[in-house]
Amino acid sequence: MQVNVALFAHLSSFQPDGEAGRRPRAFDLPEGTTVGAVIESLGLPDEPRVLFINGRHADEDTVLAGGDRLAIFPPVAGG
Amino acid sequence: MKRDLLRVNMSDLSITREPLPEGWRRYGGRALTDAIVFSEVPPTADPLGPDNVLVFSPGILGGTSAPNGGRLSVGAKSPLTGGIKESNSGGQAAHALARLGIAAIIVSGKPADPDARYCLVIEADGSTKIERVDEWAGLGNYELADKIAATRPENDRYATIQTGPAGEVGAKAAGIAISDPKGYPNRFAGRGGLGSVMGSKGLKAIVLSDKGLQYTEHADKEAFQAAIKRFAAALKEHAVTGQALPAYGTNVLTNILSEAGGLPTRNFSEGSFEKADDIGGERQAETIKARGGHEHHACHTGCTIQCSRYWMDKDGHYKTKGPEYETVWSMGADCGIGDLDDIAELDRACGDLGLDTIEMGATLAVYMDSGKLEFGDAKGALDALMSGADGGEPGRVIWDGALATGTAFGVAHIPTVKGQALPAYDPRSVMGIGVTYATTPQGADHTAGYTITANILSVGGTVDPLKPEGQAELSKNLQIATAMLDSVGLCIFVAFAVLDIPDAFTAIHDMVEAHTGDSWDPDALMQLGKETLAFERLFNEKAGMTAADDRLPGFFKSVPLPPHNIVFQVTDEDLDSVFDFVPETAKEMGIS
Repeated sequence: MQVNVALFAHLSSFQPDGEAGRRPRAFDLPEGTTVGAVIESLGLPDEPRVLFINGRHADEDTVLAGGDRLAIFPPVAGG
Repeated sequence: MKRDLLRVNMSDLSITREPLPEGWRRYGGRALTDAIVFSEVPPTADPLGPDNVLVFSPGILGGTSAPNGGRLSVGAKSPLTGGIKESNSGGQAAHALARLGIAAIIVSGKPADPDARYCLVIEADGSTKIERVDEWAGLGNYELADKIAATRPENDRYATIQTGPAGEVGAKAAGIAISDPKGYPNRFAGRGGLGSVMGSKGLKAIVLSDKGLQYTEHADKEAFQAAIKRFAAALKEHAVTGQALPAYGTNVLTNILSEAGGLPTRNFSEGSFEKADDIGGERQAETIKARGGHEHHACHTGCTIQCSRYWMDKDGHYKTKGPEYETVWSMGADCGIGDLDDIAELDRACGDLGLDTIEMGATLAVYMDSGKLEFGDAKGALDALMSGADGGEPGRVIWDGALATGTAFGVAHIPTVKGQALPAYDPRSVMGIGVTYATTPQGADHTAGYTITANILSVGGTVDPLKPEGQAELSKNLQIATAMLDSVGLCIFVAFAVLDIPDAFTAIHDMVEAHTGDSWDPDALMQLGKETLAFERLFNEKAGMTAADDRLPGFFKSVPLPPHNIVFQVTDEDLDSVFDFVPETAKEMGIS
């Protein structure tokens, strides 16, 4: 299945193509892949993060579905 | 530790200094401006008339080395909302006031001659004067700052408080500019039209010299130093205050709010903006770096978070501060504008004219929604804004804000509460902030109870933003805590660390106790927040506001917002529960 993955702030440098930037990249993943497995394969640093699938909060145990958009943010805030 | 009230009467140009009354000794910042406005302004007074007062107050920790303790509270009855207003700003003025031994400046009255302009000058030795400066009439904030600089001795250290041309003509969205550490008049008590209250009093500027003055003294210096070390360590340790805010500034929020479907786009008609990344904090940081701008600095001495930055034009010259997230949203996504240089141009114009960027962006979006201008037309937006400079239209009505503009041009969706425009989070997909917008005595204001923490950012727990449950309780607790921080004089961004690191709250308590020498238990700090809000709610009640004023505009409950296609669902009963503590608190305070 294909899942689009976007990484934000300093995490964008972990995109496998090495080009950084926030644009989503298409990943081919086996059915049943969890968010946590994607995080592990990207080698993201061990720190808190905020996860969205299709604009809704998710956690690492969430199982991805084909066509999903996964967005990963480090802890950020402002206002 | 001297804390006086400096009374400045603009009717007869008299200045008097008196000690802070004993009953107010625990108040500073927002609590003190509220106490003064509550006690001295008739609730039905004309906000631009002689009976309104304009109050400037540093927080309890103002003038100390407490990290992020230099926030300024500005209070008055608001010409925009018709209720009580406290507008909060960074910049150098709060520390200067505290070092001058001033707990609050209270400006009252009004000169008989509407063309007269005055500048209040307070020198480091405590001497004061009111100078006639008619030749400064109509000056923009940047030129005004240069004129003031020309009057000061070499090597002086001073802060300025200014009103721009918008404040001089009584625009309801006029803000007050406060100088930053480099002297740029770019920090703002922006919301609620307080620049016009200053203008109505003929007061073009205030100059505060604190040359040679030291930090204010502490009751227990050793305990204070120990507490600030712990507090600074917590701010550094937390990922938001220690890393994200300095690296990307407040505008790091644009991408995450767009992702969450909570970034109001094209006058609150969509929740995600297709050009979010073009205007987001990451792109902003990359561009500032490439142009040789200031990547991060403190907006006031003693801030350790350093989320401020300067935007440089394509030739590498200073254009404006930030722009901050709220401005990038209002001038950007809400107007359908996807270019940071265009947004910076609008931000600079508002900064120079002395206009609130949140209200102006939201207003331009409402104007675009009327069909008079296309969404995304940055040049048209700037022209519309600037047309107010000679009193022309549509600028002059735009300067009065979203409600005035939406009414004048017959717009169906006017995003205001109590007459003040909603900021950068849509209450349909971030329901907690909708509770804050609806119920805060300030009119729609995100800073009053920033539920984005738990709703979106997973700071201080999590509360699902797409469901109504738990939002009223979340907003209530944050509104009380925020009123406390605004009174202590701390930047509300410290809350990101305080919500996750228990010792940070204890450190605030210890700093306040060691500085003042008064005994405070942690409950007393929260009581300070409650008392502050009690002043505000009671004032608004007397000014004629009712539960009907604690509601969002109807379209938020009837028109679903893409991409989640959801409406605001918090019940009126929940909204009315937020301030259920006020009668009891007021009774304890002996006010009614």
